[in-house]
Amino acid sequence: MIVRKGRSTVQIERTQSAVSYAILITFVLFVVFPFYWMIVTSFKGESQMRSVVSMFWPSPFVAENYEHLFKKTEFVSWFGNSIIVAVSSTFLATAVGTLGAYALARLKFLGRAFMASTVLITYLVPPSILFIPLYAQIRNLGLADSLTGLIAAYPSFTVPFVTWLLMGYFESIPVELEESAMIDGATRFGAFRRVILPLAAPGLLASALYAFTQAWNEFLYALVFITNVKLRTLPVGLSTFITGDVYGWGYLMAGAVLTTLPVIAAYIYLQKYMVEGLTAGSVKG
Amino acid sequence: MATVHPSSSPLPGGERVGVRGGFHPDVAPRPRAALEVTLRRLLGPDYRMGFLFVAPIVVLVLALVAYPFCYAVYLSMTRKYVGMAPVWVGLENYVRLTYDGFFQRAVVNSFTFTFASVAIKTVLGMGMALVLTSKIRFRSFWTGVLLIPWVAPTVVSALNFLWIYDYSLGVLNYLLVHVFGVLSHGVGWLSEPGTAMSSVIGVNVWRGFPFFGISFLAGMKAIPGELYEAAAVDGATVVQRFRHVTLPGIRNIVMIVLLLSTIWTFNDFAIIYILTKGGPGGATMVLPVLTYEIAFGAQRLGEAIAVALYMLPPLAFVIIVLSNYMRKGRTR
Repeated sequence: MIVRKGRSTVQIERTQSAVSYAILITFVLFVVFPFYWMIVTSFKGESQMRSVVSMFWPSPFVAENYEHLFKKTEFVSWFGNSIIVAVSSTFLATAVGTLGAYALARLKFLGRAFMASTVLITYLVPPSILFIPLYAQIRNLGLADSLTGLIAAYPSFTVPFVTWLLMGYFESIPVELEESAMIDGATRFGAFRRVILPLAAPGLLASALYAFTQAWNEFLYALVFITNVKLRTLPVGLSTFITGDVYGWGYLMAGAVLTTLPVIAAYIYLQKYMVEGLTAGSVKG
Repeated sequence: MATVHPSSSPLPGGERVGVRGGFHPDVAPRPRAALEVTLRRLLGPDYRMGFLFVAPIVVLVLALVAYPFCYAVYLSMTRKYVGMAPVWVGLENYVRLTYDGFFQRAVVNSFTFTFASVAIKTVLGMGMALVLTSKIRFRSFWTGVLLIPWVAPTVVSALNFLWIYDYSLGVLNYLLVHVFGVLSHGVGWLSEPGTAMSSVIGVNVWRGFPFFGISFLAGMKAIPGELYEAAAVDGATVVQRFRHVTLPGIRNIVMIVLLLSTIWTFNDFAIIYILTKGGPGGATMVLPVLTYEIAFGAQRLGEAIAVALYMLPPLAFVIIVLSNYMRKGRTR
């Protein structure tokens, strides 16, 4: 923004910044309140919930919801399932996406432009028109009701996204770096491995995190493919806690807190890369 | 893809991957080498590494998107129940849906849900981007905070709001009745037909607007500061600067985000499924939830896929327009 230091503009700038902060605080409250409410609820005891005292703060602080979650539900298994599915999908998507994105961004071969378009279009095709035929296919392969089935299906959305995102990264790396490595005697593969991959590391990290988040958050496929209670992933498992009774909300919110933690922790830790990746992945202007 | 890749230089080292005996290019070409030259001319200089690297994607796209999609189109023209063989019925499913009142209502609801959500997200996203470009302290911290709804699992957010909207013990009614005193008694936000649609739109907006904001912000940052300075010198007001400098500068990004979000919102399943399952009495029934209900509630797969594919022509149109915008954004 422009900085003009006239005497008359100081007043205007003050007003502007007051308005900015007012709007900012409104946004922050709107965004943060549901999370605040989730955390507060998770530490409230059943008696407090029923009596509506001290609405906005746990009194007393109790861990009973978390105890219930660990001892009386399948939450721990679901957490494990989500980890297995999300980590496997992330590795698969990042490996396949990295190779493909490099080829589509840098190499010259027949069908490259067509494949690049296909990847983008695949990324845009919504899961809601694919989930039934995919389910039929997974069932025919005997993978219904197994984590393997989910791991097999998740690349349908993680791979196109990762590939598209990384194509942007590879295109932004100056081609001269590769050329000079090859003048120095490196093969193209050598240049890719020793020059390009290290430079694309932030991009790899961002896309891996996105693949992880997408797989961790996925709901529709997991809801349809899995019937065995023990094999559910976290989003589907949590959604089965909806009972309509007051008591259910405590441990439901405790589960919600623990489901949100891994992605938020990763996000806070690597915010810079993720914000960059987010804007590069969809809108690079 | 119209990208011009300055890659694959004419440097000899770059093209010799995996070519045996290629160390003496001046030696008269042996048949093998001649074949190699022809192949390279036909398939491109980097065809070996290119094909090898792209092969996994080709396999995945064929197996997980292309084949299921074709199978879906076929199934939508059959009468198919779970566990039974499909019976060909042509366009019967589509014709029946066209005259089905419940389906028609779901179509209208889907459009209402999508357009209202996208419009509100655009306004809020623009507000968010403008606030984050103005002079505030700890800007990157606030950016990070405002982006959290976008990163958090959708299901968790939907469950949070299910609890917030709860009729008897939900905090929204508590705030409106006891804290602010705006209402005399609580509202069944999700159980009354009059408020259910607005309530689910609210959740979609809450989750989705940060993506609009962060994308608009990226676009605004890319506008050269001199343009604003020139406008200021010419005496342009804040509003004029926004209209004549900011908006034209982010037009492409706005188009991309609008179209992208239109696709996502139209196909949003989790929020409505968790909050209302399409109720009360179909007031929030949208096509993805209807697809799921017909497929796994009524077990009529053929009809369910017809519901999902009914909107394919407009969807395909949006996808093609959007992918052109996104590729343009890349090559610029």
